[in-house]
Amino acid sequence: MTQFLESTLFKLLHELGSVWLFYFRVVGTFLSTRGNFKPIVAQIVSVTIRSMSTVIFAGVFVGAILVLQFNMILDKYDASSLLGGLNTSTVVREVGPLIISFLLAGKIGAYTAAELGTMRVTEQIEAIECLGTNPLQYLVVPRLVGIVISSLFLLIIGLIISIAGSMVVASVFCGINYLEYSNSIPRFTTLWTITGGILKSMVYGSIVATVACHKGYTASGGARGVGRAVTSAAVYTNFYILIANFITSHFLNFSHEMIELFTGVHS
Amino acid sequence: MSIRFDQVTKAFGPKTVLKNVSFQVEKGEILFILGKSGMGKSVTLKHIVGILKPDAGRVFVENNDVTQLDANELAQIRRMCGMVFQHPALLDSLTILDNVSFGLRTPQYLLTLPRPLTEKEIREKVAEKLALVHLGTDILDHYPPEISYGMQKRVSLARTLAPDPKFLLFDEPTTGLDPITTNAVNDLIFDLSRKLNVTSVVVSHDMSCALKIADRILVLDQAKILAHGTVSQIKNSEEILIQEFLAETLGLLDPDEGNVLKPVRSIAR
Repeated sequence: MTQFLESTLFKLLHELGSVWLFYFRVVGTFLSTRGNFKPIVAQIVSVTIRSMSTVIFAGVFVGAILVLQFNMILDKYDASSLLGGLNTSTVVREVGPLIISFLLAGKIGAYTAAELGTMRVTEQIEAIECLGTNPLQYLVVPRLVGIVISSLFLLIIGLIISIAGSMVVASVFCGINYLEYSNSIPRFTTLWTITGGILKSMVYGSIVATVACHKGYTASGGARGVGRAVTSAAVYTNFYILIANFITSHFLNFSHEMIELFTGVHS
Repeated sequence: MSIRFDQVTKAFGPKTVLKNVSFQVEKGEILFILGKSGMGKSVTLKHIVGILKPDAGRVFVENNDVTQLDANELAQIRRMCGMVFQHPALLDSLTILDNVSFGLRTPQYLLTLPRPLTEKEIREKVAEKLALVHLGTDILDHYPPEISYGMQKRVSLARTLAPDPKFLLFDEPTTGLDPITTNAVNDLIFDLSRKLNVTSVVVSHDMSCALKIADRILVLDQAKILAHGTVSQIKNSEEILIQEFLAETLGLLDPDEGNVLKPVRSIAR
């Protein structure tokens, strides 16, 4: 049992270490090379467009489900007027970034891991290297930076859709009019809430992009190797996102308390 | 001397693929590396361009120790070397034109020119290289999956030739090609060596090609060099593996007698 735990912990640390090293290599390549702007913009456009329909669909339904669930509880305490604030705050600070990162992992992360993995096992990456081009710069930098920035755009799109959808659901199914719903939003959703949501989205986006690129880039062993790379990219991404969620939530709460303590401003 | 291996050792996990391997290839020479599958032939090739680093020993390309170069210096070496992979290794997302012209747009290649090539010049150069491998310009706007495997291999060869490399490294260049194209590729390797003084290292299973165009042949077995010499020296080798290769090539295995090896030395001579 101890041996099993030891080997599992060793594997996990090895995995975590190699992902971090890969991330630093890519960031180093990004900072030390020129001509990355165009491919990054192309990736942002591609990732955003490909994920748009899923994000819109998820945004509407996640908002709608939360409205129904919150309303069930708030109604008991005659506090339905708080529905808009509570729902929006939850979506902005927690559910939005989390759901969008899971969707990104499933759609873009798996695609990226499979694409880079296939390129690796069919020697395309080595060919690029032999033709005098840095494959990290040519293939990984645009994808990694593109996915991180896209995750922010997709969060904004998802949140807008979710809030709008929630308003409609609240009005139709819960009898709360748009004005009442939107009036309570500023009470719970402050600038700090939005900052937290953006920070989380960037962190999760970085995890999705780094793990997918790392797994694809280091794939080996033919078609089975690509399959393994895609599976482990999905598993590790979700695992890391959940850990990162706990850490970022804790960090944001702590920072919030510190800001309140030193400035005396309660937000 | 243009390529030199000095006591190179390489292992993957517990398996040693190369052990104290030393040899050199002279300028303009065609060296064939033969051996059974998994004997480190491709690994040897990848050491030349620094894709793989040896665990011990050194690899020189024109007096540059490839094992000690930084990324920029390595890029310069790779610019001089053209490598044809076992797979066509074409970039699926690029057209045939963009694939073949890939090396013509790299900073290392542009540094060798007084001015960057115009799009028209690039198209002309791509057409010229495709013609060398018996392909026309009608496929320029196609994507790799839209053409056959054999054509992809030829496009891959054209892509390697495009930036006019001084060294050509072939990893089984004729596998999957029809006999006519195989002969054309062999003639091309021979012509590039004789007319342009290009140094070629060819990893292959094809002893008949080696006998036809190689200046020297190196046979790898069990992580070591089993034999290394001119074509006539290899033909006269008494090593069983080499005799088997020769017998297979010269059609001397008799299936009716359970593939018993006939004496080949006198015939091979």
